[in-house]
Amino acid sequence: MQDYKDFLAEILIDEQTLQTRIKELAEEINRDYKGKDLLLICILRGGIVFLVDLMRHINVPHQLDFMAVSSYGAGARQSGGSVRLSLDLKTDIRSKDVILVEDIVDSGNTIAYVLEFLQTRQPRSLKVCTLLDKEGRRETPVQIHYRGFRIPNKFVFGYGLDLDDYYRNLPFIAVVDLKKYQPPA
Amino acid sequence: MQDYHDFIDEVLVDEKAIETRVAELGAQISRAYAGQELLIVCLLRGGLTFTADLTRHLTIPHTLDCMSLSSYGVGRYASSGNVRVNLDLMTNIEGLNVLLVEDIVDSGRTLAHVLHILKTREPKSLQVCVLLDKKYRREVPVEVDYVGFDIPDKYVFGYGIDIDEHYRHLRFIASADMKKYKKTP
Repeated sequence: MQDYKDFLAEILIDEQTLQTRIKELAEEINRDYKGKDLLLICILRGGIVFLVDLMRHINVPHQLDFMAVSSYGAGARQSGGSVRLSLDLKTDIRSKDVILVEDIVDSGNTIAYVLEFLQTRQPRSLKVCTLLDKEGRRETPVQIHYRGFRIPNKFVFGYGLDLDDYYRNLPFIAVVDLKKYQPPA
Repeated sequence: MQDYHDFIDEVLVDEKAIETRVAELGAQISRAYAGQELLIVCLLRGGLTFTADLTRHLTIPHTLDCMSLSSYGVGRYASSGNVRVNLDLMTNIEGLNVLLVEDIVDSGRTLAHVLHILKTREPKSLQVCVLLDKKYRREVPVEVDYVGFDIPDKYVFGYGIDIDEHYRHLRFIASADMKKYKKTP
């Protein structure tokens, strides 16, 4: 595997900035969900690192659940229209206050599908918290209630976001120089 | 939801001790797999916090995948032994170095089942890393390669480990006095 420094274009958001912002987001959520029955839903696998750090700052009672989705047909770097649910929630979300936690909202196609799907189960409320928002790429409108950072339309990795499944463990968000990046064999 | 102060017995492992030990494990695993690649398999949901923190200390190339399992028996108090795979790996592990990451090993039944399932897929190597080991509860022998802490046979929560889906966000691992604990209706 290539060292990330070989294809690093820039560090978009450093560790300190990420952690500070995540704490702020959690504080917002703490204020908004006081006395409610909060369920955090993480979409695997990109959202994991963000979720774990966010959750540690959330001090209102909350539960956690997971979903895994994949697109039919399209490759890892495109979001096709149809979404296949490979892991559904364990929790019945009816009458719960739900926040969907995502690493990044890009075209919005997948998340719009998931939201529509969850809405049919009649949660009391359903909001979206995303660490990164690539607004410039949006194809389907999505309302975002808690947003970490707006980012430009660049290929990013680190802090849970992978490049061909690698580099998720880096503590910052960085931009790839795709001319220098060689995908693993 | 009950405040954990109402039923906490004692803090078994505090935040600092967890951080230090997780960093040590990360370094140890990085040395053991030096020059090789590794697939980290996180067992949801308890292992999530540990996995997110552990992988941040890995210096070797690695990828991440998740499995979600449940017992056919009843809850956490008694494991029947048979395991249902709710979410299987996306990765074909044949020929890969695999490290299974778990929050806690107790009877060892679930772990033994998963290891058996994974072995049939012929990974190059298969090891286990657990944060907590309740050795005295072991009913089935399982080889655990990396252990964070040996703990007594107490009901524990925090750092990813829940009681009735709550308290996962706490930064320490504590034991609960179940006589004082009241389940949220």
